[in-house]
Amino acid sequence: MSKEEKFIQLIKENEGIIYKITRIYTNNESDLKDLYQEVVYQLWKAYDGFRGESKISTWMYRIALNTALFQSKQAKKNGHRVELEKIVLKQENYDPVLEERLAIMYQHIKALNDLEKGIILLFLEGKKHEEIAEITGITATNVGTRIGRIKQKLKETIKS
Amino acid sequence: MQLEEMKNLWDEMSLKIDSQQKLTNKLIMEMTQQKFRNRFNTLSLYETSGAVICFLAATFILLNLDKMDTWYLMLCGILSLLILIILPILSLRALFGLKKLNLSKNNYKETLMEFSRRKKNMMLIQQFSVGISIVLMWMVAPVFSMIVNGKDFFMQEHSTVLLLFYAASTIGVIFFARWGYGCYKRITASAEKDLKELEI
Repeated sequence: MSKEEKFIQLIKENEGIIYKITRIYTNNESDLKDLYQEVVYQLWKAYDGFRGESKISTWMYRIALNTALFQSKQAKKNGHRVELEKIVLKQENYDPVLEERLAIMYQHIKALNDLEKGIILLFLEGKKHEEIAEITGITATNVGTRIGRIKQKLKETIKS
Repeated sequence: MQLEEMKNLWDEMSLKIDSQQKLTNKLIMEMTQQKFRNRFNTLSLYETSGAVICFLAATFILLNLDKMDTWYLMLCGILSLLILIILPILSLRALFGLKKLNLSKNNYKETLMEFSRRKKNMMLIQQFSVGISIVLMWMVAPVFSMIVNGKDFFMQEHSTVLLLFYAASTIGVIFFARWGYGCYKRITASAEKDLKELEI
């Protein structure tokens, strides 16, 4: 299998992950598409450098999150402000009830700071504290503490 | 919404997304090509055209430097030349440094720290540029006066209108510099906040 074929397979197997990350860090469809492309580009650029020292999913999450973080910071100055509700899942099998619940969930996630967004995303993806620590660069203990804090923040949001 | 409820919803969404995967091989490979890269990665028109204008002005001064027939005009010419060359280089260098941040090398925390460091550096240079543009404005005027009219700016009589124009321009640049300083403080504070959040 050629390098291109291997890469295509990797992206196809993980395109949902890239979609979920890009959605957290963008506010409209156009930015989402741009970020999606950029993540794929960064993964391709780094593909030769992947030595298998960590799991491929860890490597992928790390680059995708770094790219999302970087682009979201760059995009802030452009001042894009489109309502979250206008973004929907890919149009096939559109479910308005699910989409509404997702909009509320994303609203909560987007209220968190950049690092917390990354942590919550990895937590929701079912990653263990150790893997979250490897991707984010904070200690596993700190991951646990921060998840606790995020829970608290969510509770406070409900109260208010 | 509780975290547990979020987790269930996330899993439901993940299942749905996974069932809808539709990227084609062609599309994936297109996304890896530089020419398809998005607007985030192009330097803005302002940043590049500003540098081009500075370099053109520097070339113009350099070609006419022999017309500076007094030491103070020569000094103005050389200093203008240096500012017009060095400042855009520093500015573009800082900007490229920020755009070319290696996103695959470090983890999330390190990337955020490096981004904040480079952003602060870029803002510092931009702020310095705005400040020095006031000095540049007053140094370029005598140089251009000599090149274009062949007159010594410091010796000639200036009309009230021209003096008012200089004064208004200076005030305008000072206000612009103050506004720029406000932006610098805001962005630097935001970068500091990001770094603080990492430490907590």
